[in-house]
Amino acid sequence: MLNSDLTQQIRDKARELLESKAAECVIGYETGSDGAIARPAFIYSPDGVERLVFDDTCTHNLASYLVNRKGKATAVVLKACDARSLNVLLQEKQVARDKVYAIGVACDGIRQAVWGRPKGELQDRCKACQGHTPPIYDVLIGQPTSPDPPAPSDFSRVAEMEAKTPEERLAFWQRQFARCIRCYACRQICFGCYCQECFVERLDPEWTGIRVAPAQNQMYHIIRAFHLAGRCIACDECQRACPVDIPLSLLNRKLEEETLEMFGHRSGLSAEAQAPMATFRPEELE
Amino acid sequence: MARIGVFVCHCGTNIAGVVNIQKVVEAVQLLPGVVYVADERYTCSDVGQTSITQAIKEHQLNRLVVAACSPRMHEATFRQAVARAGLNPYLLEIANIREQCSWVHSKEKEEATEKAIELIKMAVAKVSRDEPLFPRKVGLTKRALVIGGGIAGIQAALDIASAGIETVLVEREPTIGGRMAQLDKTFPTLDCSSCILTPKMVEASHHPNIRLMTYSEVKAVRGFVGNFEVDILKRARKVDESKCTSCGICWQKCPEKVPAEFDRELGKRSAIYLSFPQAVPNKPVIDLPHCRYIKFQEWQKNPQGKKPMECRICEKLCPPQAVDWSQQDEMVTEKFGAIVVATGFQTFDPTGYGEYGYGRYPDVITGLEMERMLSASGPTGGEVRRPSDGEHPKTVVFISCVGSRDEKVGRPYCSKICCMYMAKQSIMLKEHDPEIQSYIFYIDIRAAGKGYEEFSRRAQEEAGTLYLRGRISQIYRQGGKLMVMGEDSLIGRQVEIAADLVVLAAGVEPATGAKELAQTLHISYDQYGFMNEAHPKLKPVETNTDGIYLAGACVSPKDIPDAVANGGAAAAKAMGLLSQESLVTDPMVASVDPMKCISCFMCQEVCPFHAVDKQKLRDGREVAVINESLCKGCGLCVASCRPGAINLRGFTNQQLLEEVTSLWR
Repeated sequence: MLNSDLTQQIRDKARELLESKAAECVIGYETGSDGAIARPAFIYSPDGVERLVFDDTCTHNLASYLVNRKGKATAVVLKACDARSLNVLLQEKQVARDKVYAIGVACDGIRQAVWGRPKGELQDRCKACQGHTPPIYDVLIGQPTSPDPPAPSDFSRVAEMEAKTPEERLAFWQRQFARCIRCYACRQICFGCYCQECFVERLDPEWTGIRVAPAQNQMYHIIRAFHLAGRCIACDECQRACPVDIPLSLLNRKLEEETLEMFGHRSGLSAEAQAPMATFRPEELE
Repeated sequence: MARIGVFVCHCGTNIAGVVNIQKVVEAVQLLPGVVYVADERYTCSDVGQTSITQAIKEHQLNRLVVAACSPRMHEATFRQAVARAGLNPYLLEIANIREQCSWVHSKEKEEATEKAIELIKMAVAKVSRDEPLFPRKVGLTKRALVIGGGIAGIQAALDIASAGIETVLVEREPTIGGRMAQLDKTFPTLDCSSCILTPKMVEASHHPNIRLMTYSEVKAVRGFVGNFEVDILKRARKVDESKCTSCGICWQKCPEKVPAEFDRELGKRSAIYLSFPQAVPNKPVIDLPHCRYIKFQEWQKNPQGKKPMECRICEKLCPPQAVDWSQQDEMVTEKFGAIVVATGFQTFDPTGYGEYGYGRYPDVITGLEMERMLSASGPTGGEVRRPSDGEHPKTVVFISCVGSRDEKVGRPYCSKICCMYMAKQSIMLKEHDPEIQSYIFYIDIRAAGKGYEEFSRRAQEEAGTLYLRGRISQIYRQGGKLMVMGEDSLIGRQVEIAADLVVLAAGVEPATGAKELAQTLHISYDQYGFMNEAHPKLKPVETNTDGIYLAGACVSPKDIPDAVANGGAAAAKAMGLLSQESLVTDPMVASVDPMKCISCFMCQEVCPFHAVDKQKLRDGREVAVINESLCKGCGLCVASCRPGAINLRGFTNQQLLEEVTSLWR
């Protein structure tokens, strides 16, 4: 369902930015061919702004595209959750603040879509967070219903998982990873996976085999989860992109919970925040 | 193709007594790449080393594994042997089959043999991925910085300067001299502290190679061994040292009197002051927060309350017109090759011990306050008087271990000097007034040192000091007296002494700001704030940061002889460093693959040695680069690097992975 008010405001802002040359490109959403999921749109001239839309199918985390536009003035449409990834990217010095114009959107939540068909139900991440203020933006579109930044994720499914015995958990994950086809969609869609060369494609040292096999797949997913510890902003895009439906967000949620408990850290709330794994505070000595 | 030679050491019976060497040799021969295996009784001996060099030549070995003791023991020895045979010394790995095998598994001989084989297997796997490494040379600045102008710092500065090395001695206070300048006599010889210290202070100020920077503080330190760059804040004295003749008119006429820190606030000083008559440099300084003219200037800027007097008496009366209001704090940056830290100690503040009433009863004083009273140049002119009424005390009680050996106040360590200074003060009191009776409440008498035990006996036998073993439970005032209640634990009875004066032997703690300085210098410190030596026995004056040395009580409580010896030792280390023409860097450091670097600079954040710099590539990307002179090879950056762009030479990811995977191959 098109949110015509937000859409109009985004189009106006995009036109203004492109006309004044404040941005060379506006990254936003346009209606997808199946209608179930909006797709990212890269608008380079004012004539194109009419393509831009905003509705409850705009699931992509558009911050992912910023790393490739390093150094070029870019405006980007960011939902409250996605705005957190901009903070992470700023913190990791992957984008320059003065080159990014963040069009923050107070959205009412994105709906699930399964195999090209809208399901009507809100996505899991949105159930915990609705209408919050993006923690970083240059212009805010829409009225946030809550002034607070996005709430912590729902860890109930982690707790469910942890209630199982280690053997059950191992069996569960072995079953999941055995299905992985190593398409790397989860990595490609992730805003935080921007290494020039991923460890999994390294030949020397060969951290894990490149072959599609249960043990190697498991190694890939576990290391990827660790590389995202304290960085993942819980957009759940990896899980959505997975063609074999591996519940990857469960791994990320677990590490999110750990970093929150151990370091009191929630990723992306501020660009100045220090990465928990790279900081030492004397009180951590216990 | 790797041609690996393996030497298995018997180490007499240290290894051979547990590990079956024959079995090990047989197993190792089968390992991939191994072309030669030998066993030696003592590989580190001349015979052993010669067989290494011969084997390398005869069998064209290009990699070597020595299975022997810990690499900390003999890695350097074997590297030299390898180098003598013409091989790069870094193509050697040590398998520790002594400390990590035979010594800890002496009861399980078969398992120990198996473990030895596995340890060697890992070393063989690792050595197959070793690469030749080459140390580099860097220049150095032949100047030394000594931080802290107490006796340890003065000694260090004098020793370094005498070797012909330019030395800067930085002191936070307006004068050098430190704690020792506050003391009256020194144990166990009872020579006058000033009489032996002042000549050294003067020598330091006149030495052609020493530059004093008093009233100054070290604010920032950059660089690395041989090439430090230090920011020093020179605070404004507001007195032109080149004009001042130290005539004394200014501090006599200054109308503003404040408690004198140097006299532990027992006496007063003026706002323009000289800490003590023998101060070096012998020039006064204006204490800005207390100066009336400064207060007047502030009032002019913000006229609130009563208008203060403009004063400026010192300026008006100064014959050579040395008062200079235009002087400002100044930051100077200097280069040094070596740094000696000698920031010393301060005494524990006993206010926390409510039962002793320090701060509540004026006649409960600390040992250092007693020193000031005993000193002829002190606030009482050398007479011992009760702070409350100025009477001469007749009964004096000393309480030991106040802020020492006490977990409750977080000071479980022994302050080392208190037992002796209590004995000394009791002897001095007897000399001042034969009617004085001193009591010392002690836990143990610690008198380890040349002439110390005899001195402590002298207090008991000649000065008649009564030593009572026990703790004090309470002190309260009754009439003009202080009632000291305690237990004599030797006879198991309560004792109560009506004292005129109580002296608390306040313990030793690091000087304020020592922790912050340690952080500035990137050297480690313990939970109390004492700085950590690199090794408590074998490297007592070195720190874990090359080129930074420690002297005196900033490391642990020390008496004067220890502090002096320590100052000399630190100086010797600094001189050894600065006598070199250039420094050789350890090649086992991190290196960045610029093509894999994602420029997140996490490595820069985690590096404790500030060894990561930024480098601009031709394609415009800015990537991390390691300063090899600063890098210690700790590997933090390697662990923090998500794309795996950083590798630690000598411990590369490839080597470690090879080592680990060898175990299941």
